[in-house]
Amino acid sequence: MQLKNDSYMYQMVLTELNDAVGAEFVDSGAADGLGHSIDYYWIPEMWHDRGKETQKPDFVVHPACTEEVAKVLKIANTYHIPVTPWGGGSGSQGGALPVYGGIILDMKRMNKVLEIDSRTLSVTCETGINAQMLEWEVEKAGFSTMHFPASIACATIGGFLAHRGTGVLSTKYGKIEDMVMSLEVVTPTGEIINTLPVPRHASGPDLTMMFLGSEGTLGVITKVTLKIHPIPEAREFHAFLFKDMHTAMLAGAELMHSRMQPSALRLYDEPETARLIKRVLGLDKPGAYLVFGFDGPKDIVALQMKRACEICMKQDPEDLGTEMGQSWWENRYKFFYPPYMFHMPQAFGTLDTVATFANIENVYWGMKKVVTENFPEARFIGHFSHWYDWGCMLYARFIFEEAPADPAAAAQLYNVVWDKAIRAAIANGGVINEHHGVGLKLGRLMKDLYGPAMGVLEGIKKQLDPNNIMNPGKMGFKGV
Amino acid sequence: MYIDQFKDVMSNCRFCFMCRHLCPTGIVSGRESDTARGRALIADTIRMHPEAINEADFVDAIYRSDLSGASRCHCDGYHDGKGYDEIGLQLALRRDIVAAGNAPEAVKAIAAELENSAAWEVSKKADLLFFADPSAASRPAVGTAVAKVLGAAGIDFGVISGGCIGKALNVLGFVEAGTAVMKKFADFVNSTGAKTLLVDTPAAMDALRNDFPAAGIELKCEVKCTASYFAALAADGKIKFANVPALQFIPGDYIKNYMKCGCSDRLLKALGAAVAPFGTNTEESYCCGEGALVLDKLNPSLVALMVETVKRHAVAGVKIAVTSAYTANILCAAGLDAATLTEIAGDSVC
Repeated sequence: MQLKNDSYMYQMVLTELNDAVGAEFVDSGAADGLGHSIDYYWIPEMWHDRGKETQKPDFVVHPACTEEVAKVLKIANTYHIPVTPWGGGSGSQGGALPVYGGIILDMKRMNKVLEIDSRTLSVTCETGINAQMLEWEVEKAGFSTMHFPASIACATIGGFLAHRGTGVLSTKYGKIEDMVMSLEVVTPTGEIINTLPVPRHASGPDLTMMFLGSEGTLGVITKVTLKIHPIPEAREFHAFLFKDMHTAMLAGAELMHSRMQPSALRLYDEPETARLIKRVLGLDKPGAYLVFGFDGPKDIVALQMKRACEICMKQDPEDLGTEMGQSWWENRYKFFYPPYMFHMPQAFGTLDTVATFANIENVYWGMKKVVTENFPEARFIGHFSHWYDWGCMLYARFIFEEAPADPAAAAQLYNVVWDKAIRAAIANGGVINEHHGVGLKLGRLMKDLYGPAMGVLEGIKKQLDPNNIMNPGKMGFKGV
Repeated sequence: MYIDQFKDVMSNCRFCFMCRHLCPTGIVSGRESDTARGRALIADTIRMHPEAINEADFVDAIYRSDLSGASRCHCDGYHDGKGYDEIGLQLALRRDIVAAGNAPEAVKAIAAELENSAAWEVSKKADLLFFADPSAASRPAVGTAVAKVLGAAGIDFGVISGGCIGKALNVLGFVEAGTAVMKKFADFVNSTGAKTLLVDTPAAMDALRNDFPAAGIELKCEVKCTASYFAALAADGKIKFANVPALQFIPGDYIKNYMKCGCSDRLLKALGAAVAPFGTNTEESYCCGEGALVLDKLNPSLVALMVETVKRHAVAGVKIAVTSAYTANILCAAGLDAATLTEIAGDSVC
C-alpha cells in the first residue's frame, strides 16, 4: 500500500498516527524518507548511486514505548498498512526496506536501559538502544554484554535479535540468541506478550526462539533481558600464518574439539590474508592467517593460550605471536570503515553460510567454483569467523570491481550470483545464513533451504499476522 | 557546487553507518536524516539532482545538525584532515543552500544580526588583550574570572569586546560575509599593537588559529587560549589554585573534536581537581550543540533533548565543568550546576 500524500485517506491515517505517538514523532518528509529507503544492502545503494528513485515509506513513526508500538500496529491492521520495523538500518539483507511503502517503525527512541541485575548478571533494556550505547552503560556498571559485532556502532539490540546477529566473541559467549533470557513482543495484531523469564525450561516449545530471527515479520520485539558478564581479568590473542587454508582449518577444528572455549577464533583464506590482513594489519606474506583468543582468570588464560599454541604448531605454521593477534583485536572494527570496506563502484556481497566441520570446506570450494567459473571477472575471498563445537561459519565474499552501469542489469547480475552461490552452498550441506539474516535478499531461496518445512513457517506467519502487515515480502513470506 | 569538493566524503559516508552512535542530533531525535549517513545521502542526492536543493525538508535537516565533529573524530577513515571530512561536507552544503537563496528565514535573521554586530572596541592598550567575544561576554563570570587570574599573576591587560568575528557566519553558510568580518576583525586587532590575544571561547580560538590562516588572513599577535595560559601561569608558580571542588568534566566539540587540544586537561591538572569522567564514554559529545554555535537559537527543542541526556548522566551534587560559555549557559538554564573551566579557575585562584 502506497498512500498518496495529497489524499484525504493519507490525512486520516496521519491523524491517527499523530494521536498514537505525538505529531512530532511522525515524519513524512523527504529527508527521513530518503534515509529509510536505503539500508546496508547493495541493491538499494546501487539504485541510489545510479540516480534512481528508491522506495520511500509513507510515514516514519518513532514510538517511545511498547504501548505506542501496540497502538501503531492496531492502526496498521485496521487499514492494512505494511509496517517495517527499523533499528539501526545497517542490515545487509534489505530486511528494513519499506518495499511496499507504508509505515517505517523506527525504534531508536526506545533506547532505555531499564535494569542491570547484578545478582542474576542480566540487563533489561528497550530494543531500540544502540548496541555500543548498551555496552557502554553495562561497562559503567562493571560488566560487559560480550556482544562485539562489527556493526556495534550502527545497529540496535532489536536489530540483532530480529536477525540472530553475532559478535566477534561468539565462540565463547554465543550469538545473540544465546544471550537472551526473555523478550517482550508486540504481536502483529497489537497484543503485548512476554516470553518465559528464563531461557531453559520444559514448558513447551520456546516462544523466545520463535521470535528471534523473525526479522519483524512476526511482531515487534520491544524489550529484552540479556545475560551480562564480569569483565575478564585477562584477554589475550595469538596469531599464526599457515601455509594454506586447509591446514589452518585442521588446527581450528582441533582447537574447537579440545573444548577449551576460545573467546574468538578466525581464519582468513589466502586471498583475504593477502588483501585485507595486509591492508589493515600490515602482514605482507603468503598464507592463511589464523587468530584466536582466550579470556578469563589470568593463569587459566595463560594455560589455554599455551595449549592452543601447541595445537596450532602441529600444522607447522609461522608463529606471528601475540602482537599480531592483539593487533587484530584492536583493529577488529577497522575492516568495516571506508576506505577498508568495499564500496561503489564495486559490487560485493557476503555469502554468509554455516556448516559442520565435515562440510565447511566443501561449501567454501563449492561456492568459490561456481562464482569464479560463472563470473570470471569476480573475486572470491573468505574467512571463517564464528566457530562451534561442530563446525563454523564461512564469511565468503564476492567482489566485482565494477557492476553494469544500467541498474536493472546490475541488479540481475547481482541476484544471479547469489542464486548460484547459495544453491552451491546448500548442495554441499551449508545453511544460509549464520548471522546476517534473510531479508529481501535471500527470501526467494528460503524454499530451497527449508523444503516442505517452509510451510510450517508460513503457517506461523499467517496465524500471528492475519492481515500480513508485518514486513511483507521479506524472509520468503508473501508480499502485499 | 561547493559540495563537489567533497565527492569522496559523499561517496563513502552515504552508505556507512559506523558513526551513528556519535551523532548527537540523531541520538536524541532518532531520525535517520540526523546522522552523518543521512546528511551525506542528502548531499549526494543534491549532487545528482541539483534541483533537490530546493527541498525544504533537506534544508531543514542540514541546519538541524549540531556539527559536533564526534563522528569525524572517531572515523577510522579520517586522519587529521585527510579522509572523510563530514563536517566539511555539511558546511559546503550550507554554503550551497545559501548560494541558492534557500537558507531558512530564521537562519537569515541570525546571519544578519551577526553581520551587523561585527564591531569591536578595546578598553585600553596593552601587550595582552583578552577577547570577550559575544559568547564569553554572555557570562559575566568569565570576564570576572579572567580578571581575577590575571590580577593574581600581576599581569596588566586590556579587553576587546564586541560582536561576531565571522565564525558563526561561516558555520551558517554565509562564507563571503564571514570572510569579510574576519578581515575586519584582524585589521582591528592588528591596529591595537597587542602582542598576545587571550581567547576563552573555543570556537573563537578555532577560528583565529585555523580559519583565519586558511583564509589567508594574518594576525600579527600571538593567540592563546585561557586554559593553556592559566595552566602555564600555574606551572611557572605565578598563581596557585585552592579549594577546587570535585568536578564532572564535559569537554566541548571544538577542544575535543576540532582542535584535539589538551589545554583543558592541562588546566584541570593545574587546578588539582578530582575529576570524574562524564557519561558512559569518552567519544560522545555532551556539550549540547556547541559545534553549531547557534543551535540553541535555531532549534531549541533539539537542544532541550540534548540537555535531557546530560541530566540523565549528571551526578547530583557534583559541579559540571565545561569548556564553553555556550554549554554552561544551556546547562545552567536547565537547572544544572555548571560552569566553565575559566570560571572555576577564577573562583579558585589565590
